Amino acid sequence: MDPRSPSRHTDVDGGLAIARDLVGIRRFSHEAMATVYEIYTVHPDEQYAAQAAQAAFDLVDRLERELSRFQPNSDITRINQLAAGAHTRVTPSTLECLVIARHMFELTGGAFDVSIGTGLASLEIDPDELVVRASTTRVRVDLGGIGKGYAVDLAAELLEDWGLERSLVHGGFSSVLALDPPAGGEGWPLTLSDPRDPSRVLARLSVRQTALGASGVRKKDHIVDPRSGDPARGRLASWVAVARPPAAPDGGARTAPATVADALTTAFMMLSVEEIRELCARTPGVEAWILPDDNERAVLHIVGSDTA
Amino acid sequence: MRWSMIAITLMRVFVGWHFLYEGIAKLSAPSWSAAGYLKASRGPFSAMFKSIAAQPNLLDNVNLITSWGLAIVGVLLILGLFTRLASLAGIGFVLLFYLCNPPFVGYFYSIPTEGSYLIVNKNLVEIGALLVILTTGSGQFAGLDRIVHALFARPTLATAR
Amino acid sequence: MAGQDEKKSSDGPRKLDRRDVLKGLSTVPALGLFGYAWQTQRKYQQAKAEEAAAPPEAPKDLQVVNVALLGAGAQGQVLQDSMLRIPGLRFRAVCDIWEEYNQKRVVNTFRKFKHEVNAYEDYREMLDKEKELDAVVIATPDFWHAEHAISCLKAGKHVYCEKEMSNTLEGARSMVLAQRETGKLLQIGHQRRSNPRYLHCYNKLITEAKLLGRIVTVNGQWNRAVSPDLGAPDRYAIPQARLTQFGFKDMHQFRNWRWYKGKGGGPIVDLGSHQIDIYSWFLGANPSHVMASGGNLYHDPATHEWYDTVMVVYDYDTPLGATKAYYQTQTTNGSQGYFENFMGDQGTLLMSESEMNYPGTLYRDPNAPAWDEWVQKGYVTAPKEQETKPKSEGAIADVRESVSPDQHTLPVTLRDPYHQPHLQNFFDAVRGKAKLNCPAEEAYMTAVAVLKVNEAVEARAPLSFKPEDFKV
Repeated sequence: MDPRSPSRHTDVDGGLAIARDLVGIRRFSHEAMATVYEIYTVHPDEQYAAQAAQAAFDLVDRLERELSRFQPNSDITRINQLAAGAHTRVTPSTLECLVIARHMFELTGGAFDVSIGTGLASLEIDPDELVVRASTTRVRVDLGGIGKGYAVDLAAELLEDWGLERSLVHGGFSSVLALDPPAGGEGWPLTLSDPRDPSRVLARLSVRQTALGASGVRKKDHIVDPRSGDPARGRLASWVAVARPPAAPDGGARTAPATVADALTTAFMMLSVEEIRELCARTPGVEAWILPDDNERAVLHIVGSDTA
Repeated sequence: MRWSMIAITLMRVFVGWHFLYEGIAKLSAPSWSAAGYLKASRGPFSAMFKSIAAQPNLLDNVNLITSWGLAIVGVLLILGLFTRLASLAGIGFVLLFYLCNPPFVGYFYSIPTEGSYLIVNKNLVEIGALLVILTTGSGQFAGLDRIVHALFARPTLATAR
Repeated sequence: MAGQDEKKSSDGPRKLDRRDVLKGLSTVPALGLFGYAWQTQRKYQQAKAEEAAAPPEAPKDLQVVNVALLGAGAQGQVLQDSMLRIPGLRFRAVCDIWEEYNQKRVVNTFRKFKHEVNAYEDYREMLDKEKELDAVVIATPDFWHAEHAISCLKAGKHVYCEKEMSNTLEGARSMVLAQRETGKLLQIGHQRRSNPRYLHCYNKLITEAKLLGRIVTVNGQWNRAVSPDLGAPDRYAIPQARLTQFGFKDMHQFRNWRWYKGKGGGPIVDLGSHQIDIYSWFLGANPSHVMASGGNLYHDPATHEWYDTVMVVYDYDTPLGATKAYYQTQTTNGSQGYFENFMGDQGTLLMSESEMNYPGTLYRDPNAPAWDEWVQKGYVTAPKEQETKPKSEGAIADVRESVSPDQHTLPVTLRDPYHQPHLQNFFDAVRGKAKLNCPAEEAYMTAVAVLKVNEAVEARAPLSFKPEDFKV
């Protein structure tokens, strides 16, 4: 795709944007999880595409009801209210999200921690009984750093089920999943920009079957490093791309690239460059861009193994 | 047998037990804080009590002093040791509790309470009990103060007993 | 000082004699007693905490109920989610005509939770073949409710049937008769009847404390924004023959049956029946008159046969006096969502099913007696402190500080999914441990009140109810 001039880009917090004037692309939007979800898709039937998008948004709403810690009767709120030794049943989606969160906790050495230091290890997640048990009362779980990515993953799968393979789904542009691009293109055109100066484009990407996560410092110090408890500093923004493996022929173990990207981008705001390099090297299909908070503000591009 | 002194000693043990349990309950509850009680303050001193609740460092100290203070006063009263000091401290604590949420006309609190009170509530009654304990030397009648006094009191002329 | 032993003090420090020691140590045992009492209490608390950490399996003596789900669409899946959290249920079967999509999804979810369910397309085959079935939960389109519920009752099963009871009054009536005839349980899915917040308001605030005084007017609504019709993924389309067999003229009607005459009753029945049910429940009366205006103001009439906008006024003769209740539903704008507002001469209750938006606020009229007693009993929370407005400078008259009504909230929160308490109530009744909160006869009265609205819209005139109308 031809690079678009910066003036056509919209002003976006995470510094991730898509050129809006693509011809023939249908766009649907919906507010959920305190952000705006959008679906860009190519399909000859406007009504069918609208119905598919609505079904995807209904799914996002359902996930919000299960995962939001602001809803008094969500799975997560119930988990946060558990007394020591008590348990609660959760939905398969909640369980899957927690399992991924735990995996990301281990992968990032604790930098990504949905319990923000209150003790993720003390939650016992039982995938057989679909039950979560708490061994202390202190644990508080907040899926804000991973929930949007998870919703994007599931919404994209739904769109594929409806036959809308040429789509891109995002949640507030902090979590993006590009499926197949519009016909004739190599990929969906995205740009990474400096959050402090959106007209300054740092990288142009053309992506397909890839998830991207973006984290940026919007307000001061809003990301807390769970290892120290202090706000993360020294980073202005981080972007992570995770390749989306093709679905296993008989549904097998589902992958969740947008979920992983969402988690990694939060963790990468806190990890050192060496740690990020090392993580990218041992995790196939992961690529990162880091924008340090220094005078130069030159973006650092870290490529892991198996990436082009 | 001085029945009145026995009665006062019994009262001293009851009051001491109450203080001790209040203190221990707060110490063993991991997250007890006086903030709730302070924030619900009404009356002439409410501004002061609320401002205590608003300053985290001060609040922490207040919580510490309250929980340990109540427990220590309780032990001292039960044992009848340094009874006058303990009674004074106890009066101090309960007076603060009373002034923080006094049952004056038209005042109303969210803290669930049993009973109906107008001006006089159980805090005030407990202050009364502590005054009696303070002024009757019950620790010296039947308490460790008796032993302490016997071992350490300097002889004085005409010490009114 | 009073009470001191008579001893001459002028001889110097007394020696410690035995009486001193005895009397001195006399209260020390009290400390020991305290320690013992405290330790006992700690052990008790620990034991209780261990008890709370119960294993996930149902207690041994909980009677297992064998359940089938008839209808695996959107609402069926909501009920499934709630039921999977209720201990002691064993799921045996799922019946739905959309084998390719919804039926498969629901069956897979049951299997994930270790329930080996059999899948059916025809409910009669299910009733024939499933030998160990105690109850059926019905979430099929309204026009199927009567036949499904009656067949299940006659097959000896207890039934939980989604609201509205039926899209026709005759259908609803026949369900009540079948329940009477078979003696089995029939609970209708007005889930607010088991919602702890609604129960709290009805039992404690309205019936016992009478906090609102006399409820003279009621206002309620359910506003929804425009949304596209429900579609279906192309690859899972149902063959026309099957659609026709089960009463649908095409896939669109299958997905959007609520908008079609003869299948559903439109938004006033889908959405309104929940809240109008609450009106009758809280007011303790059935309506005497209804007046309604409505129409299809916005949507394509070819695919939306029912009214997308309805505004209703009911008259009630309640035990305390006459009441008028307004209700509206519209599907073009979601302003302020859904709520019910009960306005009495002593207070106002504004609430909804949502734990987030309008979870329940009470306002005490400034002229009403104080609610202190009820606050202390824990019926409502303490009033939120009202900011008093400062007197404006230069005011001549004594500007009274503005008196806004005291605002209280409900001290009750529902932590489970919204339909869980009502399903729990049903299964408790199946086990003989509870009475149904919304038995068919009760739900029939709501059906009468609600189904009349569409008639009233059409008639463009006020309609009356007779008390006999509400009885079967």
